Amino acid sequence: MRALVVEDDPAVAAILVRGLAAAGFIADHAGDGQQAWFNGDVEDYDIAIVDLGLPRLDGLSVIRRWREAGRAFPILILSARGDWTDKVTGIEAGADDYLAKPWEMGELIARVRGLVRRASGRASSTLRAGKLVIDTHRMSATLDGAPVRLSPLEYRLLDYLAHNLQRAVSAGELADHLYGDADASDANAIEALIARLRRKLGPETIVTRRGFGYLLPVEER
Amino acid sequence: MIRDSLRLRLMAGAAIAVALALALAWAVMTWLFTGHIERRVQEDLTTQARPLLAELQLIREVPALATEPSDPRFGVPASGLYWQASTAKGRIRSVSLWDAVLPAAPDAPADAWRIRRAAGPFGQRLMLAERKVRLQPDEPAITVQLGYDLARLAPAQREFGRVMGVFLALLWVTLSLAAWIQVALGLRPLAQVRRDLERLRRDASARLSGPYPREMLPLTQAIDALADARESDLVRARRRAADLAHGLKTPLAALAAQSARAREAGAGLAADGLESAIAAVRAAVDGELVRTRIGLVHEGRSTAAVPVLERLIAVLERTEAGEDIVFSVDCEDDVMLPLAGDDAAELLGPLLENATSHARRQVAISARSEPGILIMTIGDDGPGLEAEVRDTAVLRGERIDSAGGGYGLGLAIAREVAEATLGELVLGQSQLGGLEVQLRWTSAA
Repeated sequence: MRALVVEDDPAVAAILVRGLAAAGFIADHAGDGQQAWFNGDVEDYDIAIVDLGLPRLDGLSVIRRWREAGRAFPILILSARGDWTDKVTGIEAGADDYLAKPWEMGELIARVRGLVRRASGRASSTLRAGKLVIDTHRMSATLDGAPVRLSPLEYRLLDYLAHNLQRAVSAGELADHLYGDADASDANAIEALIARLRRKLGPETIVTRRGFGYLLPVEER
Repeated sequence: MIRDSLRLRLMAGAAIAVALALALAWAVMTWLFTGHIERRVQEDLTTQARPLLAELQLIREVPALATEPSDPRFGVPASGLYWQASTAKGRIRSVSLWDAVLPAAPDAPADAWRIRRAAGPFGQRLMLAERKVRLQPDEPAITVQLGYDLARLAPAQREFGRVMGVFLALLWVTLSLAAWIQVALGLRPLAQVRRDLERLRRDASARLSGPYPREMLPLTQAIDALADARESDLVRARRRAADLAHGLKTPLAALAAQSARAREAGAGLAADGLESAIAAVRAAVDGELVRTRIGLVHEGRSTAAVPVLERLIAVLERTEAGEDIVFSVDCEDDVMLPLAGDDAAELLGPLLENATSHARRQVAISARSEPGILIMTIGDDGPGLEAEVRDTAVLRGERIDSAGGGYGLGLAIAREVAEATLGELVLGQSQLGGLEVQLRWTSAA
């Protein structure tokens, strides 16, 4: 596993590199934004950990450039700027997660592993259900060609329905799939999740078959 | 009391000035009226004299009248209207003089009537019209005098003065009311200044909105310049505090890593102490960052609720705690929060993060705007808080970094932001079973 640590403070960078190495990562270090952008553009990393306040090119610009260039590796922002506005801006720039300094190395490693796990093992295929296209590699979806912002949970539900096309999947089965330890009360959560997806995708994208469950219709209605 | 009130001082000044002006007007008008009626009396006397002169004759150098003047007052003793014609040899006079005579006038002019005041009979003060006439050039001059009792004018003067006094008193009341309205209108911009300053006190970015009269512009511009300087100071102070806080975070991260290494090396006690100190510094730093932000919360701004919520949810859905949580948003698109976008994110972010970290499956957000009130609720299906803990979790005046419970810091931050925008934060139990945080802004809908 290769990680890129983008941090201008040598002491903090050394701690990060050491911590990642202890967790089994091979970590490269970039001390400024230009170097980071170059490294991320030419090397294949499994994850990048990026500080926002960088010399020469700020962290948000580095992330935007990577995403614009099609670099899809997960990015964890690690910054002293803990405002919610900064978090939102970071995520909207293309980051996958945000951790404010000072961090706990255990939490950081857990988040890094989570991001890598989510990004790995993605088969390069697409599933289609009417106007909805699900990219199982990028874990993303488009509706009529327009990208739809999905949370991991929403993606997992759509992915499961797409793998069971034309079969009505009950709320209980969906809860079992999504949570593993589901109980009866989770049907409400599934209902809320379906409602949220319908708001994003349109009310007819997910059909309710009364008494059976939910399904993605293949034909456009 | 008058010294304390500009309004009363202006009013008292106006009332006194108007009263003095009207008193002067009363005196001048009364004087003019008296002069006017006295001129009428003079004219009346000279008019009365004409038939008298026409009937006048001399018999052995003594004046005589062919026919008495027709005015009946000449026939009533002490009536106040008298005539008299006299030469050195004798005199004739009106019956009204009875046995008295008019004051001698040896120096009366021959070419015109002379008017003068003199003491007359019956203790009266008379206005006299007198002249000498010569019927034939070779005859002696006759002194003709007509007199009028000036006391007869007094009732008319008194009546005029009384009526004029009443009229001017009414005029004084009217002008005082007009002055009161004028003062109220004149002072109205000061009330606007007071409201604007109150807004400025709460929001460093606010300015005196006006429109203000031209005469007040130097004052309002000076206040705005002061506000600019204050805001600059606040921004500078906030930046310094934020820089200091951010500057501390990186060394804290290094210390945390050292602590972890110390623990791995078997120095658990030392690591415990270090971590406890790091946690305290971190809480203090976070608290200061929030305080500097709250100090700059902007008033009078608004932000659409749904986009802010969706952006925050997008962040939370990517966190470990949030990736399995369903966020449901029940909020119309036109609901506006009475906050600037950044402030809304700082208010709602900690609340949503709290709800996410304690939720089992769901976080429900709803907002409704009714006339005069905006209510937003954030509920989760987590374990919630006991009623007594809820009461202390957001105690007013509680230090942000020491507010109790796992919810404490986020709730205390949100409470301070809500109160900075004249809202309030109330805790309750969510329909989902966990904690419900309700934010209310009155007059914000």
